[in-house]
Amino acid sequence: MTESKVSTRYANSLLESSLEKRNIETISKDMDLVYSAIKGNSELARALASPIVKPGVKSSILEEIFKSKVSKETMEFLNFIVEKGREDLLASIVQKFLELMDKHNGIVNVNVRSAVELAKEQREKLKQNFEKVLNKKVRLNFIIDQDVVGGFVAKVGDTVYDASLKHQLEILKKRFQEGGASLN
Amino acid sequence: MAEVRPDEISAILRKQLSGYESETDIYDVGTVLQVGDGIARVYGLSKVMMSELVEFPNDVFGMVLNLDEDSVGCVLFGDSTLIKEGDTVKRTKRVASMPVGNEMLGRVITPLGIPVDGKGSINSEKFLPIERKALGVIQRQPVKEPLQTGISAIDAMIPIGRGQRELIIGDRQTGKTAVAVDAIINQKNTHTPEAKELGINPVFCIYVAIGQKSSTVAQVVAKLHEHGAMDYTTVIAATANEPAPLQFIAPYAGATLGEFFRDNGKHALVVYDDLSKQAVAYRELSLLLRRPPGREAYPGDVFYLHSRLLERASKLNDDLGGGSLTALPIIETQQGDVSAYIPTNVISITDGQIYLESNLFNAGVRPAINVGISVSRVGGNAQIKAMKKVAGSLKLDLAQYRELEAFAKFGSDLDVSTQKTLAKGARLVELLKQGQYSPVPVERQVVSIYLSTNGYLDNIQVSDVKRFEKEVLEYIEVKNNKIFETIKKEKQLSDTTIADIRKVADEFLTIFK
Repeated sequence: MTESKVSTRYANSLLESSLEKRNIETISKDMDLVYSAIKGNSELARALASPIVKPGVKSSILEEIFKSKVSKETMEFLNFIVEKGREDLLASIVQKFLELMDKHNGIVNVNVRSAVELAKEQREKLKQNFEKVLNKKVRLNFIIDQDVVGGFVAKVGDTVYDASLKHQLEILKKRFQEGGASLN
Repeated sequence: MAEVRPDEISAILRKQLSGYESETDIYDVGTVLQVGDGIARVYGLSKVMMSELVEFPNDVFGMVLNLDEDSVGCVLFGDSTLIKEGDTVKRTKRVASMPVGNEMLGRVITPLGIPVDGKGSINSEKFLPIERKALGVIQRQPVKEPLQTGISAIDAMIPIGRGQRELIIGDRQTGKTAVAVDAIINQKNTHTPEAKELGINPVFCIYVAIGQKSSTVAQVVAKLHEHGAMDYTTVIAATANEPAPLQFIAPYAGATLGEFFRDNGKHALVVYDDLSKQAVAYRELSLLLRRPPGREAYPGDVFYLHSRLLERASKLNDDLGGGSLTALPIIETQQGDVSAYIPTNVISITDGQIYLESNLFNAGVRPAINVGISVSRVGGNAQIKAMKKVAGSLKLDLAQYRELEAFAKFGSDLDVSTQKTLAKGARLVELLKQGQYSPVPVERQVVSIYLSTNGYLDNIQVSDVKRFEKEVLEYIEVKNNKIFETIKKEKQLSDTTIADIRKVADEFLTIFK
């Protein structure tokens, strides 16, 4: 809980400063890169989280990885986080930043789980419908999940739009159990 | 074994499926962060309401009691071992509520309205929230109709009116439940056609058992059945093996069901047995929710816990139908200590209290009511005139007796007037003894109290008092039943009725031996 509070604070300040300096596009692109690097490489995440690795070493690792790929401001921010001893939260800070960016741009993330990969026109239709229902720009993230059986489950924030076969089967099961007395 | 025909099964399946429609379900969810001791902390559920019901996996329900900055604290109404970290929690979008209706009568249910008596499901349409705000001043009127308990000592000296809150307080094993159960059994008289003729409205009863043994609840239910009281009674059971949250909401569920009757212009009596256990259950879950403890480790709002419950007992004004909800909360004291936290709280909330004492109980005075310190602050207005007339001198005589009781052992050394007072008092105490499950109708109470305060018992042995009472009432019933009828109808003791009673009683005295 405290963790998310801290990362929100760091992410917020980065967003505000980038809005002030009007370099939000570069920063967000950099953050995408940092995020995928940390998520894609567990060793890097482990090294950052490890208390044995000295801050100076961490700082030089980050510099070596990102220096040529990101802007000066991003590099400064990364070093700042290491300096403050919050490098273990880097992943969550970057994630929070991306969430705040979306919020700032009025984009809603919709996670769609389906049993099979959806066709392109299905995706388009889904996107259009969600944009109509939510009245916001929508970014769809697709996840393949065999548990769904058929149909899809979309999650927007805390709200679930459940059109899956699995859910329908569960309802059916419940209904049979309730009316089960007549089967005796 | 009967044969099962496949076409029969498929017909049933088709019937079941006929109402089925596939559609997209939209619901809000959260994730369990932490679970244990009947408490779950949930992340998400961002739009959840206070005291909303939420659904966990495995058909476990919970209620939201804490809305924190980044998590939601829920209490669980089921087994917390069925829930794991990371489980999905669904909103139900309704605050904790229970089904209400006449269908509930004669049933034993949990505080959430699920039947536990094995008599099948209850089909009631109407749901009401368990926590409701008590009515304000405008909607109410003073208590004015009597609620007869059938216990002479109570109906005469500590009368209870419809809409009143009368506390029953005493140590363990002093007959607290017995008083309440007798009161419920006596309401049978209000459901007869005769009562309807006399303009007495029926009283529906709710018995809320909190933290009791299942066997005790079963016994109470059996007794109610035996005396035909289950027809108008609902038992709400949150037994000792249920989780604390269920015990905590049980009295509110009882009040909700009572309010259903009250709001429909009917009359209801609800017994909370007992509120000390509810307070303990609330303390348990408050401490688990990390609310700061106060005196006796109870949370700061334990007074509000009981005041908001008992404030829901009320007598509605005539514009709203004139219904009433009478509450008989029960508090168990430890070694007669009424100055503990919970007893003092509840005493100050209620409109009077009935004290039951273990030494009286052991001395054979049953019901073991200490009439000296028992009071009813509003019931006097609700007593029928006849009872008011005879009970006045009864109270006085008993008070005098108590004052002199300590001298009783000096026996014949005392002066004549003291001896007389003592003799009369001893007979009165004997007269007010009453067996369990044997409520006495008010007209009989009036006659026997009239006889006792007017010297008819003076020449009868103390040991014969109960027999005398029984026989004289039987004699009156045979000889001049009109006496009972007039008291019932006129609700007062006119001079002619008194003359009638005296005549028959004098007659009986000559033949009594």
